[in-house]
Amino acid sequence: MATIKIAATDRSPEVDFDFGANRFLIRGESYPEDVTEFYAGPIGQLEAHLTELSGAEIMFDFDLVYFNSSSAKVLIGLFEKLDEVAAAGNRVTVNWFHEDDDDNMKELGEEFGEDLETAVFRLVSKG
Amino acid sequence: MLAEDMRDFRQRLAREGVVFCYSGYLTENILTSIGAAVKTKLSVETSDKRTVRGLFSLLVEQVQNVIRYSAETEIISDQEDEGQDLRYGTLTVGKRDGQYFVACSNLVQRADVSRLRDNLERLRGLDADALKALYKETLRGDAPAGSKGAGAGFIEVARRAASGFDFDFCEADDTRAYFAIRAYI
Repeated sequence: MATIKIAATDRSPEVDFDFGANRFLIRGESYPEDVTEFYAGPIGQLEAHLTELSGAEIMFDFDLVYFNSSSAKVLIGLFEKLDEVAAAGNRVTVNWFHEDDDDNMKELGEEFGEDLETAVFRLVSKG
Repeated sequence: MLAEDMRDFRQRLAREGVVFCYSGYLTENILTSIGAAVKTKLSVETSDKRTVRGLFSLLVEQVQNVIRYSAETEIISDQEDEGQDLRYGTLTVGKRDGQYFVACSNLVQRADVSRLRDNLERLRGLDADALKALYKETLRGDAPAGSKGAGAGFIEVARRAASGFDFDFCEADDTRAYFAIRAYI
């Protein structure tokens, strides 16, 4: 099964999607020039993959330092998709990482996480 | 004369609390560089990471707003970047009355002034919970016509501007107006 690995830049995050293990990670800064262009490919493949799963164990790590409002739109769409996949009979865990002193990143995680009905949401302080 | 002019210019900036000023065409590369410079400068001045992060967010949203929507553009069509356009804007970052601010100004079409003004007035009247609800609703909805992002940039500015924001407009020419916004942490 394929993987997608994209290295981080100053304004776009590291993406590491392991479709075989159903482990997914987005880490770093996210304010790319063209959010759609950056995310459309990997997230399109991810959604196609997730839709076919049943009874799978899926873990998604969001480990972001900063993201802009355009990226927030992508993230909220991703949360919705993950919840759908959970409701369709998969075990989905969403980990939202934040620095201990970054209240804003923690609050954003809580805001997105509170809408998850079936997927399990965990806030993880990095200390 | 030259040095005197520049001294006067810098003194005016200093009087207004401006520690960083850029006027010209804005690009994503310039934004990244300015962002790094402002973060470094602030990290020396304050140990409050919340202030640094908040100011960085205000900077990104406001500058990307200029890059996407400024009505003052120049089309560059060299072979590598065919059809890419450059957008003009003026950015200042500083501190007034103990509060850090990010301000941006750019030209907008006169036809867009009333819509922008209504939108910003409305945002200024919303409390934190209402802004959060509107933010999520906007992120979930279809992007507004003509928007190149999520259409949530000003909502983000309103949420991050812990001490509020000011804005106004004035005439530029027959078809365009100057727009300025200043958000305080």
